Amino acid sequence: MEAVLITLAAALAVAVPALATAWAQSRIGTAAAAALAEKPELRTTAILMIAIPETMVILGFVVAAAILFR
Amino acid sequence: MIIAMSKVRVLGPRERLTEVLRTLQDLTLLHLAPPEVSPGAPLGRASLGTSQERERRHLQQVLADIDAGLHELHLRPTPAAVAQSGAPAAAAFVRWARLAWRVRREVERLRLQIVALEEEKALILKYQQFFSAFRALLEAETHWPNATAYHVLVRGSDAGAIPKLRASLAAAIGADFEVYTQPLASGEIALLIVVAAPAARRVEQLLAQAQVQEIPVPAQYGGGGLAQAIPRMLERLGQIPSARDQAVRRQQQLAREHGAELIRARAAVHDRLRELEAVPLTGVTPHAFVLEGWVPTRSRRTLEDRLAAQYGEAVAVEEISIEEWASEAAPVVLSNPRLLRPFETLVGVFPLPHYGTIDPTPFVAVFFPAFFGLMVGDIGYGLVLALIGLALHHWSRPGTLLRTVSEIIGPCALFTIIAGFLFGEFFGDVGSRLGLKPLAFDRHEAMIPFLLLAVSLGVVHILLGMSLGIASTIRRHPREALGRGVSTIMVVLVILALLAAVNVLPKSFFTPMVIGLLIAFPALIVLEGIVAPIELLSTLGNILSYARIMALGIASVMLAVVANKMVGAIGSLAVGVVFALLFHLVNFAIALFSPTVHALRLHYVEFFGKFYSPGGVRYQPFGHWTPARPAA
Repeated sequence: MEAVLITLAAALAVAVPALATAWAQSRIGTAAAAALAEKPELRTTAILMIAIPETMVILGFVVAAAILFR
Repeated sequence: MIIAMSKVRVLGPRERLTEVLRTLQDLTLLHLAPPEVSPGAPLGRASLGTSQERERRHLQQVLADIDAGLHELHLRPTPAAVAQSGAPAAAAFVRWARLAWRVRREVERLRLQIVALEEEKALILKYQQFFSAFRALLEAETHWPNATAYHVLVRGSDAGAIPKLRASLAAAIGADFEVYTQPLASGEIALLIVVAAPAARRVEQLLAQAQVQEIPVPAQYGGGGLAQAIPRMLERLGQIPSARDQAVRRQQQLAREHGAELIRARAAVHDRLRELEAVPLTGVTPHAFVLEGWVPTRSRRTLEDRLAAQYGEAVAVEEISIEEWASEAAPVVLSNPRLLRPFETLVGVFPLPHYGTIDPTPFVAVFFPAFFGLMVGDIGYGLVLALIGLALHHWSRPGTLLRTVSEIIGPCALFTIIAGFLFGEFFGDVGSRLGLKPLAFDRHEAMIPFLLLAVSLGVVHILLGMSLGIASTIRRHPREALGRGVSTIMVVLVILALLAAVNVLPKSFFTPMVIGLLIAFPALIVLEGIVAPIELLSTLGNILSYARIMALGIASVMLAVVANKMVGAIGSLAVGVVFALLFHLVNFAIALFSPTVHALRLHYVEFFGKFYSPGGVRYQPFGHWTPARPAA
């Protein structure tokens, strides 16, 4: 039972931030596409902006790794 | 690094201003800045005279004519094509103005002619389908001199309406009509309705009520119905290609005859405009002029020697003491060793740093390939990347974006191969199957050591950034530098306390570190304000953000391992190998994109945030105009 709970906790630690990241990226992606239509020179900034919310899922992954390999 | 600048003042007799400006333009060293003019002082700002202002407006018009002409002729000036050969005579400008106006007028006329011909051709082709359908019917049209013909298209799905139309016509005008039909390849049905002339008005009313539209006959072929227009249209269709070719040949002839001269004229006009635009940046008294600006310190002697050689004691150059100018106003030029220079492009995404702060290019040149290498970390992928870099280098021209990319790929590939040896990876676990042993640890198995490595790199990178922040502010803003110093010490204390808490350091370290934090905390609040603790927490978050190196690295190796498992998992060996190669290809594509974006992000967000001070003015010395190099 404990193993199941540990695995579930690790899965949630990745899944919830992944959903949050996806939501944030969808909003940023929409705004970036609109901005790029007006100013194509912003493409590098736009790509970086889209990468920023990935911190959430990466930290989630770290937490999951910490749960699994503690 | 940001090269050192000196601010200089050039003084001389007013009548020699134009001459001195030409010399400075040839030298291309002085970044001009308007001298400070105090109210009531004899020194005033120079302005263009009436004739100079007229000349400036005229030259702008000439430039517009030249640009329009070159654009229409598809000619693009290159730096080699505009090599200077002394200042042109006034007569040359007059000749160029006439030439530019004449060429512009003619090329615009030719363009309009070509567009009109193409539109006409498209229009005739639109009718071509109708021609073939109506040709047989139209022959019949000419047999009824007292009849009126109507040309109508009906959708294929409305074919059932034709018998109804016949019935309606019969009810309205009796038997004085005939309806010819012909199906078209497009699925529509062409109708030719011929009615006796007296019944024409009634038929038109009927067609209008039914909202049936006639095929319009283009006005330029008018004067009759389609029967008369079609032969004229066909004849015209045959003439259009030769007319178009003639216009294109004339364009090519104009490009051959005048292209080179227009390109030379463009450079000369730009140069003269620059000269005129430099005048308002000059300070003048009734008898003297004063020019101020920045010159790279290493080139100051060249400027002084050249002006002394040409004007003797008539023109003097003096250095303005550093205390008299604000470093924020000084222009910035980055100068890095050849190997580091490609990484200036990555820094160039941001506005230039302020003069007197730090150019991050050398640090980016070291850490960007290192982070990229640790994320990809595979000898095989590194070798493929190196081959791509070599190919790009071979096929690109110096100074282009492609060449810069190839030069960035080189160190990235090198670090990827080194990391591949550290982790014992060659296309995933193929290396270990061939007996390759990791020099450090196997990423596949040792996630926690990899996480610690990534976060340790984060600590080093962030502390370096914070130290650079102190170094760049210590001279101008010592209080801010002190605050940053306390903040840096607190980050170090937090890390040491954490290490002591998890038994990496002796437990006895913990209490002194916490005491140190308690002492530093009020000092931080006093120096940096109430937001300082939030900044401190944000810095610790930034360090954790480096865990992405581990996360992306693990993802990369897992995908490579899955790719290799394809070989055994699918029955056929050949199909398995193909699938494995496809998987590796996908992984390699991801490995090119994702680590690049994340390594850049670690620099731009986490590292630059600690010290980078954007907003510097680009060093643009007053010189001759040269066209921009093509991007790739």
